[in-house]
Amino acid sequence: MAQIEIDGKALTVADGGTIMDAAEAAGIYIPRFCYHKKLSIAANCRMCLVEVEKAPKPLPACATPVTDGMKVFTHSVKAVQAQKDVMEFLLINHPLDCPICDQGGECQLQDIAVGYGGVGSRYAEEKRVVVNKDFGPLIGGDMTRCIQCTRCVRFGQEIAGQMELGMVNRGEHSEITTFLSRGVGSELSGNTIDLCPVGALTSKPFRYKARGWELTRRAAIAPHDGLGSHLSLHVKQNKVLRVVPRENEALNECWLSDRDRFSYEGLYAEDRLTRPMVKQGGKWRECEWHEALQYAIDGLKQVKGEFGADAVGALAAPTSTLEELFLLQKLARAFGSDNVDFRLRQSDFRADGKLAGIPWLGMPVAVLSELNAALVVGSTLRKDHPLLAQRLRQAVKRGGQLNIIHAADDDLLCPVANKLIAAPGGLVNALAQVAKAVAEAKGASLPAGIDLSAVAVSEAARAMAASLLAGEKKAVLLGNLAQHHPRAAELHALAQAVADLAGAALGFLGEAANSVGGYLAGAVPHAGFNAASMLAQPRKAYLLLGVEPELDAYDPQQAVAALSGAFVVALSAYKGTAEAYADVLLPVAPFAETSGTFVNTQGDVQSFAAATKPLGETRPAWKVLRVLGNLLDLADFDYESSEAVRAEALEGMDVASRLGNRLSGVAVTDAAVGGGLQRVGEVPIYQGDALVRRAPALHGTMDGASPKAWLSGALMDKMGVKEGEMVILRQGAGEARLEAARDDRLPVDAVRVAAAHPLTAALGGMMDPIQVEKAS
Amino acid sequence: MMTAIQGFLGPWWTLAWTLAKILVIVLPLMGAVAYLTLAERKIIGYMQVRIGPNRVGIKGILQPLADAGKLLFKEIIIPAKSNKYLFLLAPVLSIAPALAAWAVVPFSPELVLSNVDASLLFVMAITSMGVYGVIVAGWASNSKYAFLGAMRSAAQIVSYELAMGFALVGVLMAAQSLNLVEIVQGQEGGFWNWYFIPLFPLFVVYIVAGVAETNRAPFDVAEGESEIVAGFHVEYSGMAFAVFFLAEYANMILIAMLTSLMFLGGWDAPFHAAPFTWVPGFVWLAAKVSFVLLLFLWFRATFPRYRYDQIMRLGWKVFIPLTLAWLMVVGAAMQTPYGYLFH
Amino acid sequence: MERIISLFKSLLLIELLKGMSITGRHFFSRKITVQFPEERTPMSPRFRGLHAQRRYPNGEERCIACKLCEAVCPALAITIESEERADGTRRTSRYDIDLYKCIFCGFCEEACPVDAIVETRFIDYHGEVRGDLVQTKEMLLATGDRLEAQIAADRAADAKYR
Repeated sequence: MAQIEIDGKALTVADGGTIMDAAEAAGIYIPRFCYHKKLSIAANCRMCLVEVEKAPKPLPACATPVTDGMKVFTHSVKAVQAQKDVMEFLLINHPLDCPICDQGGECQLQDIAVGYGGVGSRYAEEKRVVVNKDFGPLIGGDMTRCIQCTRCVRFGQEIAGQMELGMVNRGEHSEITTFLSRGVGSELSGNTIDLCPVGALTSKPFRYKARGWELTRRAAIAPHDGLGSHLSLHVKQNKVLRVVPRENEALNECWLSDRDRFSYEGLYAEDRLTRPMVKQGGKWRECEWHEALQYAIDGLKQVKGEFGADAVGALAAPTSTLEELFLLQKLARAFGSDNVDFRLRQSDFRADGKLAGIPWLGMPVAVLSELNAALVVGSTLRKDHPLLAQRLRQAVKRGGQLNIIHAADDDLLCPVANKLIAAPGGLVNALAQVAKAVAEAKGASLPAGIDLSAVAVSEAARAMAASLLAGEKKAVLLGNLAQHHPRAAELHALAQAVADLAGAALGFLGEAANSVGGYLAGAVPHAGFNAASMLAQPRKAYLLLGVEPELDAYDPQQAVAALSGAFVVALSAYKGTAEAYADVLLPVAPFAETSGTFVNTQGDVQSFAAATKPLGETRPAWKVLRVLGNLLDLADFDYESSEAVRAEALEGMDVASRLGNRLSGVAVTDAAVGGGLQRVGEVPIYQGDALVRRAPALHGTMDGASPKAWLSGALMDKMGVKEGEMVILRQGAGEARLEAARDDRLPVDAVRVAAAHPLTAALGGMMDPIQVEKAS
Repeated sequence: MMTAIQGFLGPWWTLAWTLAKILVIVLPLMGAVAYLTLAERKIIGYMQVRIGPNRVGIKGILQPLADAGKLLFKEIIIPAKSNKYLFLLAPVLSIAPALAAWAVVPFSPELVLSNVDASLLFVMAITSMGVYGVIVAGWASNSKYAFLGAMRSAAQIVSYELAMGFALVGVLMAAQSLNLVEIVQGQEGGFWNWYFIPLFPLFVVYIVAGVAETNRAPFDVAEGESEIVAGFHVEYSGMAFAVFFLAEYANMILIAMLTSLMFLGGWDAPFHAAPFTWVPGFVWLAAKVSFVLLLFLWFRATFPRYRYDQIMRLGWKVFIPLTLAWLMVVGAAMQTPYGYLFH
Repeated sequence: MERIISLFKSLLLIELLKGMSITGRHFFSRKITVQFPEERTPMSPRFRGLHAQRRYPNGEERCIACKLCEAVCPALAITIESEERADGTRRTSRYDIDLYKCIFCGFCEEACPVDAIVETRFIDYHGEVRGDLVQTKEMLLATGDRLEAQIAADRAADAKYR
């Protein structure tokens, strides 16, 4: 510990800290541009110069370690003069275009210039001009305004894992640029907007839309992946105009993925449903709420009367709120049907009834960045969970070992210790190898029901086993691909075996905002049909909540076929293609327009209020479900607020005790998979749910590009297909024409064809066999 | 010709002739009222260094006609919860006494509709009736402001009625008659014979009380725009309002007329010498009335509105004692050899 | 003694007569009335009348949608919506001044960094139906085009005091 004094205030601070840290802790503000608590120290803006006793020159507070007896003055004549001079230098080349700059009013340079700058400029010469760069559709650049703090560069290197921005040239000629004008493709790129202290990097979709002072800030929870990042929605005139992170060390730190940041644009998509619609005589027409609701309950009652309540199924998107899911299952059950599910992309339901709790991350999110070893099974990590991937990257940076079992050898932007790449059908085998290797290494036997005698253990699997056995903090994580896998239950059982043997935690990387909440709300069948069987054995009537079946289901072919023959009541924020299969469309409020609760993958129950009023005639879904309950004369549907719904849903429930990944009674055999090509059908990052599908800016990014049929080079040679040629993909009766593209990181027996995209919606199961042929 | 008409009408002649005479008085009176409003606006404007209305006709000469036209065509709004009959009766009650008093007002020794002996008494009786119109209007409107205005107006009129009556007692003591013609004739012979000299305090009291009786500035608390919007006639519009307006101005002219008759020698010329005797007596009377009316307007341009309690104090504690005292003086003096000074 | 004097003064109505003499004198003084539509009082170049938006000599509108006027407006009379115009410049898509709210304080003019919003000497405007006095961007620009010569002259006349 060191005794220091800042501005006459005696402080005891830890050794090795900087003056900036000490001042921060003591609540003394030192102006800064390049310093950021999550980034490395650069000390290149010189704004934080302070006077230190006995030092001949002012010293940068961010880069000067504290020493015992140090006396620091942040407001002495010398310090103030130094700050003023630095400010004058910074402003020499900074354009005075604040009136047209989007940062105006929330600009650190403006604020610090007012607080620490001089009155006028002595610089009468021409200012420098920097040519603007194209940073893609998310980030607007006005590089003349750049003050070379290099926060964005350091962010790319240290957090995003990819140095997409860099500074070239020296002195007055130095400028931030992309690598050979390649643009910015990181799924975390939006954070540079927050980091930039000036208006050099700004949000492109928000460009010139509003001023900071006009916006009302409303807290919200991210509605996409299972992380449940904390958001601040900036609202003007009942419209969300931008989204920025709310700091939360336990979840998103101060970052936000681009998906969470820019998906708000989808709220105002052209196909937003703003009035109830009914289909009568094969024609759609807009109508009043009471008419649509009456039509819906008449249809449901008719089906119940003719075929029994079991002929009615309820399907919800996993991005629905806890309240909506609770009311949906309550409505379905009170109506007499147990057919309710929200796990639309899951294909293997063997684990149902054998799970001890609700699948969750198995550990707090923050632990991810401290892991010594991790095995991630079946996860397109960077795209499915951008910020969890960032956490794991931090773990690797601290010496942790990352092991990957996946269907493609994706670049995770960090060193991967061991990897096993196999087509989806081979994933069970790959994980079995690791399980066997761990068991052999520990000399322990595998649990009953897991028979891996036929499995041949590869070197990579042994190395993985060793890596998992070595560390302190370890985790086996099942990603989205593993959860959607046709043999997900077996993967789960194997992963549990590995985790148990290696003393690691087992976790699921939560797929959607409310993957845990859906279980909590009880939106899973007890004895009735689950999502897959409901579609495999078509029901006579469906109640859809925010579902776009051709994009949200594991097997879109099956889903569309099942729905098109039934009476479908769709509660949706968007029209989408619902006119093709639905009979009643009830406009419900999407994220930001409804209050509700998401339960994230680490089990946090996070409630939020509506940020804006619902658009047009739209109503929050919980209200619509409540009124449907009233109209169906069901008991106890008299909720006055979403809080009342939540209170009932979580009544007497200890959420933490409900979480648990333990699975028992699933037998695993290493049944050899049939030959032929298999589809690797992941959900693209910007296709995950209805909202993000409609965010135009995100779809202009590299990740938002339309899907291609990715084939390994060997396979292409075998088929005689060249890159850029069209191929026809077939699954069952459906086919899709896509451009072939080469990706040697894929196994030879796999074709990577994105799911959840209109171009591939005609295809079948996400990980089922697929035929590929060259288009003539 | 007269006899021809008389023969034609037969028994109806008296009625027709009386009506004709009434019209001869009322119509010019209405004209005078109209132009009094213009005069008021012009004179007050001039005193405030403005020029007043000047757009309708030459120098605004047709302004009263424009105002009348406007008021004629405005809707008469009857408040929902008012007493409709009383509401419409009130303006009539207000204007009827203001016109009826003119029955006994002489314009010259011969020119008087009805030369009754107790004409002064008649005038006092009739002018006291005017307050009913105000009270009924305030009550029938069913409005707080109107009611407040009516209360104030009633209290004020009752208070000043006394002082005014005492002032007139002085006049009748001096003239030893209740007949207005005789009162004027008692003052004949030049301005030094006019009663305003011996009865000067009563003259002042009469003018001030007259201002108060007509609810004019500075005693216009019954209207008090700044406190009770417009007092008793706040709910009135169109012609109903115009009738109140007419009554107020007709009352002003009446008070000016009575002042001229009782204190300023009526139609008597100030000097009975060459140029003054050429002017007919009626013109002198008109000139005196005009002068008193000018005073009314002048007051309005000059004085700020009295506070309500000040008005009451002035009426009860100053004017009544003052008039009583002066009546004593006059009465006592009339018992002395110097009594001729007072009549 | 003083009380007796004041009693006599009030009995003799001295104060009242003094007052009447003042109004009486004014009766004969020269009248200062200005016959408004035909005659006008002189106006300062700083007069704050109807608002206008100016253009540059090349016809480009000056306003860059910085929203400082909207922020400074004490009556919240200004409503601005901004967007990126096709040529990439920052422009308003809506610029409304609600003259029902406006108190003609001139802060918008003071705040404007490009002298786009100005208050002209023009005061003879009226509205015929409800909402007529909400000045839209088109109306403001039209006013500016019509009065540009005077606006420019007024700014030039006032420039040396700024």
